[in-house]
Amino acid sequence: MSVIGKRFVDQVKSTGWKSTIAQRLDDGFTRFTAGLSWNDVRGVLRGDPAPKPNPRVKPHTEAFWFHIRPTFYHEAVTTLYPTFRLGLLSAVFFTIEIITGIFLMIFYTPAPERAYTNMLDILTNVPFGSFMRDMHRLGAEAMVIVVTLHMVRTFTTGSYKKPRQFTWFTGVVLLVVTLFLSFSGYLLPWDQLSFWAVTIGTSMADAAPVFGPTVNLLLRGAPDIGAGGLLRFYLMHVVLFPLIGIIFVAVHYYKVVRWGISLPPEMEPIGEDNARKVPPDKRVNFLPDIATNEIMYAGIAFAVLAISCITWYNAPLETHANPLATPNHTVAPWYFYWLQGLLKIPHIIPILPGPIAGALDQFFANVLGLTPKVFWGVLVGPLVFVLLFAVPYIDPNPSRRYGDRKIMLTFGGVFAALILYLSLAGIPTGVPVTGFGYVGGTPPSEIAQEFMPDEGEGELMTIPFEQMIVGEHAVKPDANVPDAPKLNQVLAEVYHSMERRKATADPLGQMLNPEATASVKITQIQPDLKQIAIIINYLDTNGVTQQFTKYKFIHKESGRAH
Amino acid sequence: MIKKLVTYRPSFTVRILAGLISFIAIIAACMVAGVADLTQALSTRDAIYRSRLIEEGARVYMDQCSRCHGVEGKGIEGQGPSLSSSNFFNNRVKEVGWNSTLETYIAAVTKSGIPLKSSPVWEVTHPPFLDRFGGPLREDQIDNVVRFIMNWKQAPIDSADVIEAPKPGEAFAPMPTPVPLTAAQEEGKNLFLSNGCNACHAIRGVANGAIGPSLNKLYEDALKWIASEEYKASQGKATTPEEYIRESIVNPQAFIVPECPQGACPAGVMPPNYGDTIPAADLDKLIDYLSTLGRPAE
Repeated sequence: MSVIGKRFVDQVKSTGWKSTIAQRLDDGFTRFTAGLSWNDVRGVLRGDPAPKPNPRVKPHTEAFWFHIRPTFYHEAVTTLYPTFRLGLLSAVFFTIEIITGIFLMIFYTPAPERAYTNMLDILTNVPFGSFMRDMHRLGAEAMVIVVTLHMVRTFTTGSYKKPRQFTWFTGVVLLVVTLFLSFSGYLLPWDQLSFWAVTIGTSMADAAPVFGPTVNLLLRGAPDIGAGGLLRFYLMHVVLFPLIGIIFVAVHYYKVVRWGISLPPEMEPIGEDNARKVPPDKRVNFLPDIATNEIMYAGIAFAVLAISCITWYNAPLETHANPLATPNHTVAPWYFYWLQGLLKIPHIIPILPGPIAGALDQFFANVLGLTPKVFWGVLVGPLVFVLLFAVPYIDPNPSRRYGDRKIMLTFGGVFAALILYLSLAGIPTGVPVTGFGYVGGTPPSEIAQEFMPDEGEGELMTIPFEQMIVGEHAVKPDANVPDAPKLNQVLAEVYHSMERRKATADPLGQMLNPEATASVKITQIQPDLKQIAIIINYLDTNGVTQQFTKYKFIHKESGRAH
Repeated sequence: MIKKLVTYRPSFTVRILAGLISFIAIIAACMVAGVADLTQALSTRDAIYRSRLIEEGARVYMDQCSRCHGVEGKGIEGQGPSLSSSNFFNNRVKEVGWNSTLETYIAAVTKSGIPLKSSPVWEVTHPPFLDRFGGPLREDQIDNVVRFIMNWKQAPIDSADVIEAPKPGEAFAPMPTPVPLTAAQEEGKNLFLSNGCNACHAIRGVANGAIGPSLNKLYEDALKWIASEEYKASQGKATTPEEYIRESIVNPQAFIVPECPQGACPAGVMPPNYGDTIPAADLDKLIDYLSTLGRPAE
């Protein structure tokens, strides 16, 4: 018998079974929490005032996870303002992404022949597969938003100023990492949406002078995205960027603890940083207050995400990637719309009148080999990030007070407005007010795209299968096909869309001629498969009669009807 | 109001309660997702994505396969056999001695093709469609085509005009002996090829064009069309098959045949100027040759 066993026996002999086991369990528990006994933890969770001496300080010196966290915060930063908990939430979403990402990794192969089939398997064969994918996807979108907002609030409260310049710097690195993480993950489902979004994204790199084609080749592994590109994006997504992210999160958070969370600007003497000099009466201990606070916010974020994923959110999965067919209205991911908007600026100096700007473009193209796309997309686009990196170093104002920072705040506001404007220009329909960025096709193809998009769902595709009455139905406001209310409704909608395009020109000046007619033709292909075609007869710009036809096949059980 | 919101610091009770509720909500959400997946959701999604793959297959079939096998899969005379008849679904695997399922047979033929002229009746090889074998399609697209073809199995099409593949025994029977061509007709056949007619029209053993109507039984067809109501309503003026053939070459718009390999024949596709480009003597020989096709033995 071992020595420990003897002692245990001795203890049982002297104090009895119950108390011995209870004490042994408590000992183990205390070792696990690095200094807090079971009763201490209960006290924390009950919100009891700290006993003296305070055992809740001990984990901060004894344990790994707690030594990362400060022992106490300044009371002023524990309210919603000034942090809004956005840094915490970024970390929460990053963690969710890692957990759900590892789950998805188990079922995924980064090869063009397998990737899409794996996606279908995850959705149709793996319990929790769809849920995990939704969480991963929505969490990624949320993370981009939260990280961006975190940066906006840091800028607004002036928290990037001395001594936190480097914290800001690592933060911008993390923003870039977040964007690239999200972007590199975009390709992995290998559907049309991801394939073309990433093709557009990497084409921007390709356009860069001198090093562009090389960077493009390194990213894609070939002139076009294929097996090499998919593997590279996968490795970037699961190894490179998470690694950079984790390292920079460590540095970032070390700096946050080192200098403390900056106080609200109005509480600070100008040019001084007193976040670390917390008077004893302003201290809020990490245990229990900050810890419970953080668990609450993390829990709410997680719960909102999980409930969203079982209720309204479904991560899209389009048809298999097809390098030979570009869907209409292909776009980059939404957080790169602004970059797409930049690419649509027609001239290098767009404020000049057209002919002069055009002549200057000629000049730049001939002398420097610089086209507007290269200038705006490749030189100015990345400059945005250079500008963000430089913010603490170009702002000499020591004051963090809002009133003292009118220039910088105005600059920030204009910058944000510009990004929003460019983002609007980045989507195919362009900016509603000015029409800038509109890239529509001819009116008939736009009508077809509206009701029967190349990817995704349109009204014509969501008609219930039994209401798709075989035959050719003229498009009119009072369509009256028996037993097909939804079909009639869609026929009327197509009619109104046509009338709209007959009455008003699109931003390119294209209109539909007043005599144009349309019909919807439905054919039975197989008992549970129908073909639905939209046929538009119109006059083209040369006054020649043309027929535009676009069709889709709809299966009875395709789950589109609603 | 805003100040109140911004300086809000949840009390200890609120924190513990909100945290607990969130925790329960997370567990509940996971359970809902899990229970849904384990009961119905997986099979529902399976049906949805399976049917969308059939839709994709239909698109590829119409683009690539319907030219020879017909939009309804009934097969096209001189081009390809039916893929929708019950004979196809019930007997094909046994007939060809394929040691696996019909799905894999369709996939194998579509992907790698039939490299030999193993069917002298059809006079066509099946081209390989897989990109690795030089074809236009990716593997997943061909798998979807297989799904689409197998979807005919629930209601096979057995109408009279279905073109069946020959039975194994018949497949090696000699071609029906053609009427021996005269020297002029031989010249006409060469004119048929040298003028590029074969690009669009099919004649068994001579040409595989699949744009215009098949000319296999031209004489017989001509008689049929001349007698038809559609012809009488058109601008056609022919009364004999020879006149009909001449009219079709010189004035192709006079009458548009309603049956082409890919559905109704489109108007304006056949060039209208052959009457000018082919010398009159050659035209006579060409018509002489064409009128032997499908002409009953005398």
